[in-house]
Amino acid sequence: MTETSVTTDPAAAPSVASNEPIIAIDDLSFSYDLGKTNTLRNISLEIPAGKVTAFIGPSGCGKSTLLRCLNRMNDLVDTAKVTTGRISILGQDINAPDVEAIELRKHVGMVFQKYNPFPKSIYENVAYGLRVQGIKNKGILDQAVEESLQKAALWGEVKDRLDSSALGLSGGQQQRLCIARTIAVKPRIVLMDEPCSALDPIATARIEELIAELQEDFTIVIVTHNMQQATRVSDRTAFFYLGELIEYDETQIIFGNPSIKQTEDYVSGRFG
Amino acid sequence: MAKHFERKGRRLLGFNLQSWIKGFFGGNAGLSIVILFLICLFLVLEAVRFFPSHHQELKLSQKSGQEYVDYVIREADEYQNLVSFTNQAYFQELDARFGIERGVVDSFGVFQGMIEDDAGDEMDGLEEARDEEDPAALKEAEAAYQAAVARIVNEADRKMVDSFGRLAENDEAWRSVKEAASSYDAVEEEIPAFVEEAETKMTEGMASFEEAKALISSSGVPLKDLRSKLVKIAASIKDDAIADLTASARKEALLEGAEKVEGEAREAKLAEAGKIVIQDEFPFAERIKPIVAAHGDHVAAVATLREKIQEGIGRLPSEFSSEPAEKLVGKIRKLEPKFIEALDESIEESGQWKWDDEIDWVSSVTKFFFGKDWTTNSEWRQVYGFLPLFTGSIIISLIALCIAVPLSIGAAIYVNRLSTKWEQTFIKPAIEMIQAIPSIVLGFFGIMVLGNILLEYSSSPWISWLPGFPITERLNMLNAGMLLALMAVPTIFTLCEDALNNVPRSFSEASLALGASKLQTVNKVIVPAAISGILAAVLLGLGRVIGETMVVLLVAGNKISMPEWSAGLGVIAQPSHTMTGIIAQEMGEVSSGTLHYRALFLVGLVLFTISLTINVAAQKIIKRLGNHA
Repeated sequence: MTETSVTTDPAAAPSVASNEPIIAIDDLSFSYDLGKTNTLRNISLEIPAGKVTAFIGPSGCGKSTLLRCLNRMNDLVDTAKVTTGRISILGQDINAPDVEAIELRKHVGMVFQKYNPFPKSIYENVAYGLRVQGIKNKGILDQAVEESLQKAALWGEVKDRLDSSALGLSGGQQQRLCIARTIAVKPRIVLMDEPCSALDPIATARIEELIAELQEDFTIVIVTHNMQQATRVSDRTAFFYLGELIEYDETQIIFGNPSIKQTEDYVSGRFG
Repeated sequence: MAKHFERKGRRLLGFNLQSWIKGFFGGNAGLSIVILFLICLFLVLEAVRFFPSHHQELKLSQKSGQEYVDYVIREADEYQNLVSFTNQAYFQELDARFGIERGVVDSFGVFQGMIEDDAGDEMDGLEEARDEEDPAALKEAEAAYQAAVARIVNEADRKMVDSFGRLAENDEAWRSVKEAASSYDAVEEEIPAFVEEAETKMTEGMASFEEAKALISSSGVPLKDLRSKLVKIAASIKDDAIADLTASARKEALLEGAEKVEGEAREAKLAEAGKIVIQDEFPFAERIKPIVAAHGDHVAAVATLREKIQEGIGRLPSEFSSEPAEKLVGKIRKLEPKFIEALDESIEESGQWKWDDEIDWVSSVTKFFFGKDWTTNSEWRQVYGFLPLFTGSIIISLIALCIAVPLSIGAAIYVNRLSTKWEQTFIKPAIEMIQAIPSIVLGFFGIMVLGNILLEYSSSPWISWLPGFPITERLNMLNAGMLLALMAVPTIFTLCEDALNNVPRSFSEASLALGASKLQTVNKVIVPAAISGILAAVLLGLGRVIGETMVVLLVAGNKISMPEWSAGLGVIAQPSHTMTGIIAQEMGEVSSGTLHYRALFLVGLVLFTISLTINVAAQKIIKRLGNHA
């Protein structure tokens, strides 16, 4: 297997050169068992600001793990450890000793695979992130809730029942609520971990539309199993296999003319 | 007969093996339900029959005048309290001021007694010898007497210094007492001068106190006399009334018994049966007359008491050499107005009392549930008031919950959300291990260790400001509550931990991903999501605590009375009895079918109802609020 095979293709680099990369991953290896075995190996890639970047690959390839490294959700696993390399977000090494994961997560939000609103009212769900930051002013909260719900294309559906339980919404609505909750704290980056895998096709389509709209305000990194989805929503795509980054390029190139055989096999459905 | 697909296998009584096994398991389940049903039925039947008997008992107490006499008894009891405080104060003061003198008088008296008891023979011998006027015999008798006295004095020297601590530090007085005791004349003929002198000194020094004390002691004499008179009358009316109630049954039994024997025994039984008179109605109206008539005496006796005791208390000294005496007199002065007020009230109420008011069924129920006395071992009257037991149980349970709930919820949150794996493997089994401590061991610990610690350290300045502190009773509700808290912790902890565990991981992930800290996540997401489980855990903890018997029986102090609410939160340091404790304590000594027996069953039924309600409520809460798992 070719080590660190193709990372940022020099040929593709100029297209993003105008923007500083918002996330820069450099030679990252990551282990869930204190370094005995590496789940991610020597990954280097740069994610441009204001774009949608998709991580694809077969199950167990490490794409979700990498995503969870970006907001240090892996800290929840006691034995998780970055063995080599570094991740810089906005130029800051996020694993540096004086970086607080809580502060990082305020800037790097996350939407999960299974929609998981809190068993609270719709309003409280959206306001939660602001409340934990100590914001108590009703006016600010009201405004933030409305804005976020509007951005998440949910305002029209729920504006009359903000005080009813979030668990009464449909699956697609709940997932959009989770997106609203995430963007309410105004993160720079939104990580999405297979956000549509628990939804029906119509709800999926609405989320995909939403992603396209959100792209204006946020940098989005999305993990997906669904290759059509990756082509529909993303600007750039990274293909992972067995913990390694195989190829990373413009989405059209990955799906149209990949430079590596493995990628071609995967995107054309020959394995995975 | 079917040709194909016929059922295979051997059959027994028309059922195959499968059906038998199914029947066996079903039967097991059914049996437990049947047993539960039978227990409930038995409990309810025994308990409910309390009320008719109780009604009758109340009627009897009323018609025999016991109710009226109870007014007199209560007055006399409260008066007796004041008298005993006065006496205590008197002797404290006496000791403080004339300790030596009192020691001299008392120990001389004890010597006298001992010599008369132990050297009686020698004394008689000496007296005889003196009468006979034979010098040799006299000398011998004197020697024998001296030897006996020397032995007694020696022995006393070892023991008495300790038991009469007043003389322990004054060798001289002790020596003169010993010397005086050695002489026959001092013991038998005339009291030595220094003893008499000590006595005079005491009497004179304490004269004014003595006078006040005598006034107080004498003030209640008419009331006490009245009490003993009325008690006898009422008791005899009641005995006769009970005998009358059972007369026909006894007569029948005697006649029946007479059939079975021959000759003299038969004659005797017939004669006895003949003596039993069956009346149409017991003549309560006739019998009660002396008690009704005694009301005038009662009013007079109380008036005397009221007047004299106020004067007596007024004459009590206001300066003391002894601190306890000063405190006691202060207490008496504080109690006086309450006592007088209670007297007036009692007189007024007893004036309105009527022996033939109709007692309805409701009062048989209310007197049980709201009665504040539970007296069962008195010959006078049995009173079954459930309230002190109920309040005792409730206060102890509340103390236990107040301690156990924060402890166990805190521990559950820590173990479930904040601790490391290593801590988890250690803390969880440790807390659950508490459950393995037998309650008798906890009770023993409460008596021998916790009670003493509380008693000793509750007076230290840094905690003595707490309500109820410093503690005066070693066995009290706080002690029991603390131990019960320990017993409730594993229950609440385990159930809480389960409830927290049932909160989906995704909630905490979502919260953390929004930039909340672990503590914020616990407070704002995890605990609210698990609140139904936590509430249910607390309720089940309460159920565990309220039904616990051994610890409260050993540690709560078993004093059947209403707590003194005037102590505020300090009631927690008072002793009390409980619903479970009373059953355990008294069930062994009641005979089946009696009123007492049924009263205990009724307490059991109430306890059962409370436990059942708590359990049902816990289940309802879990269902109603749901678990977001």
